[in-house]
This record gives sequence, structure tokens and C-alpha cells, in this order.
Amino acid sequence: MSAILAPELPATVRSLFTQLHHAGPLAGAVVQGEAGSVAQGVQVRFFWQVEGLLIRAAGYQAYGCPYTLAACEWLARALPGRSRDAPWPGDPHQWARTLEAPPERLGRFLVIEDALRAARAAWD
Amino acid sequence: MSDTQRAIYLDYAATTPVDPRVAECMIACLGFEGLFGNPSSTHAFGRAARAAIEQARAEVAALIGAPAQDLLFTSGATESDNLAVLGVARGERRRGGHVITVRTEHKAVLDACKQLEREGHEVTYLVPDRSGLVSLEQLREALRPETVLVSVMHANNEIGIVQDIAAIGALCRVHGAAFHVDAAQSAGRLPIDVQAMQIDLLSLTAHKLYGPKGIGALYVHPRCRARLVPLQFGGGQERGLRSGTLPVQQIVGFGAACKIAREEGEAEAQRLHVLREQLWTALSELPDIRRNSDAARSLPGILNVAFPGAEGESLLFGLPELALTTGSACNSDSDEPSYVLRALGLDTATAQSSLRFSLGRYTTAGDIELAAAAVCREVRRLRAISP
Repeated sequence: MSAILAPELPATVRSLFTQLHHAGPLAGAVVQGEAGSVAQGVQVRFFWQVEGLLIRAAGYQAYGCPYTLAACEWLARALPGRSRDAPWPGDPHQWARTLEAPPERLGRFLVIEDALRAARAAWD
Repeated sequence: MSDTQRAIYLDYAATTPVDPRVAECMIACLGFEGLFGNPSSTHAFGRAARAAIEQARAEVAALIGAPAQDLLFTSGATESDNLAVLGVARGERRRGGHVITVRTEHKAVLDACKQLEREGHEVTYLVPDRSGLVSLEQLREALRPETVLVSVMHANNEIGIVQDIAAIGALCRVHGAAFHVDAAQSAGRLPIDVQAMQIDLLSLTAHKLYGPKGIGALYVHPRCRARLVPLQFGGGQERGLRSGTLPVQQIVGFGAACKIAREEGEAEAQRLHVLREQLWTALSELPDIRRNSDAARSLPGILNVAFPGAEGESLLFGLPELALTTGSACNSDSDEPSYVLRALGLDTATAQSSLRFSLGRYTTAGDIELAAAAVCREVRRLRAISP
């Protein structure tokens, strides 16, 4: 790891990481889903406010690398308005491409997907 | 203003800037009026370069209490470590070639040991205690009649822990094993006397003590010289142990850096100790942090701290105003937690949440105040969003 790490990460990750506006517990959330652990190096918990069959708002708590936090923020921004049948856009491979993540980070995105799946299951 | 001008540099254990006084000496070597001659040449230009090299050799040797003729120049500590470990083990193969080292050594030693294992040598890796110290009892148990080399670093580059080198040296001498010490971090920061400490081989590098990159040295006790097999061949420079034209300006810079370290090192160490403790005190306002090395037995400028609940890479990324690392800069391509911290028994998450602060000659009390405030801010932010 270089002495000054920040400039080495993609611009999209830098931008999202510095504006984690959706991080933290979401008041009034009725749906939660969680995956991973601190011991694993990545832990994610999503909070959704839902209305009928739509997600009205999303928030998250996360422990992990900058790619993990950036992906959670990107998803939390994309989730509102999506339906229960297709609650999140794309898949971990697509998120990795969007964030220009190196292949070894894919495992983190799979944990994020597990957290989303857990939230989707809790909605039922 | 560039990123490097804005950032507070707290990564002196990775490398140091060249001291302007050193740079001045080096610049004087360059150009036609300088010392560009090949030091192996017998004409006036060569002799002038040779004289400058020998003066620098004396300065470097004086820093470690060695006779100048027992010091050979290399490209840096990695080459010195490789030459010491591979050179002695290969040279002593007939005696058994067993080598002892420590799990927390620098990769330049550990990877050389792995190479020896591929060549059929047996290597014992000692596991230090939780503070990073190797016990004499462990070493005594590991030593065998066929042990030809023991390699233990003076001060660890990640946690700063300082080994009892004199005691280890005495034990090795009794058992007839050559004793190699990587002193890349400690030289110029702690007193070193290769004779009093019974060290047979000692690695140095200039760029950790405000000298230029690309130059280092290996001290070789006369009794080890015949046992040492060179790694590179050519012009037979440095008594045939390290062929290659000597880089005069680098060596002159190295000598100047050692002279300054000898004159100012002690006062600088005291100043850094005070700054390091100020940093620790300021960081201690955060709950649940852990100091990863023993304060009383570590280098004055290194502080390694775990911030559970704040992942290390995110922590670094959130601190663009600080230049520091999660561990060794030499392991930069890996996002695995530090093998040094893992060897001390830290779990993966704690190791991943650790930062190394390394202070140096140009660190100020103001830097420490700003750095501590920034780290506290970012740790709180990351903990607040953690599940």
C-alpha cells in the first residue's frame, strides 16, 4: 500500500466515498438485511423504507474497504423507486465494472449482494 | 499546491527525504568538475573518486563501530540481506546450512530464506511474543550444531520493536553460528556497535537515514568473509563480494548521511520519542484503540495503532492529508493484513484496522496535532457507519 493511497483509487470511488450521505441507520426502515462480518473484513447491513411494492428510501451501515463503502452508497442511491421483484440494479460483476474495482475485490461485492438478498427475503 | 506538498509526511519508516546537507555533498560529485571518475581507475580522476569513497566508507563504518575495511557497498538493504542470508548459507552448505530467522523479519530476509528452502536448506522461523520480541530461550532451543546463520532484525519496520541484539549475538557466538542483523530501521536512530554486540553481518541502507536511494552496505566480520559466496560477478569490486562500478555520488551521500546521524541521532531520537508520545496521548481520546508495540522497547519514531471498527484501507483513504501506511510499504501490492501483526497474534480484523505512524527529522509538534485530529475525525466517522 502506498504512502498516499487516495489518489490511486478510481474517481467514482473517491467521489462516492467522500459523500456517504446514505450511511447510517435509516429512521422508519421496516426492512433490514445483513451479511458478512468484521472478522471477514466486510460487513454490510441495508435498511429499506418500503411503500407497497416499492422501495421508498434506503440506507446502510458498512465496515469494509473504500470499494465496499462506495458500492453501498451507489446502491443506496439507486434503490429508491425500485420494485420488490427487481429491488437492485445489476449484479456484483456489473458493480465492480462501474466502480473499476480490481478482480480481487469481487468477494466484497458478493457480500453486499448477500445483504441485499437478506433484505429482500425479510420483505416477504 | 500538489498532494505531496499538502500532506503531512508520517512514513519515515518507508523512506526519508534526502537531507539538504547530504544533497549538497552529492551534487558536488556530479559534472566534469566533480568526482565522475571510475573509482577502479588508477588515473587522477579515478583516484579522487576512490578517496571520496573511502572517506564515506569510514563515515558509514563509524556509525556502527566497525573497521572501514569490513564494510562493502551494495544497492540497499534488500541486496545486503540477500547477500548475507544466501551468501553465508550457500557458502556453509557442507556444514549443514541450517538457518534461523523470525516470522516478523523483512521480506528481503524471509524471501531469501524461502529461496534457501527451495535449494534444500532447512530454515527455522521463530515466533515472537505478542510484543514482537524473540526470547533467548527460543533461540537456544532452535540452535543446532549445523546452524550456520541466525538472522534477526534490530528494529522492526512495522511496529518498531527493538530486539536484544547483544544478547542474541553472544548466544550465536557461543554456538558458532554467524549472526546477521538487518539494521535498516535502527541505524542512525539507535546506537549500534557491531563488535560489542557480536554481530557478524549487518545490513544498512541510506534512504532510511536521510540519504539517497539505491545505496546500502553490508558489514562483514573478517571471520565470515571467506564463508560468504557472492551473488553477482564481474569486476571483482568490494573484495570480490559485490562486483559492479561503485556509484560515487550515492556513496558520498550515504557517508554524509551517516555523519549527520552520528552527530545528531541521539538528540533527534529524544525529540521523536516526545512527539510519538504526544501522538499516542492525542489518539487515546478515541475509545478502544490498541497500541501494537511495547512503548518502552520500540524505536522512538514508530507508533503502530489498531483502531477496531475502522477498516484500515478506508481509514487511509479518508485521510488524504496524511501520508502513512497500514503496514510496510514493501508489501504494497497486497490487501492482506500485515503478516507482522498477524505473527504477533492479532486477529485479521484488528490487523486490518491498524495504521503505522512513523515520525522523522522534519516532523513537527504541529504536524502531530493536525494528524491526531484528522485520525480521530475519520475513525469516528467510520465507526459511526459501521454495523
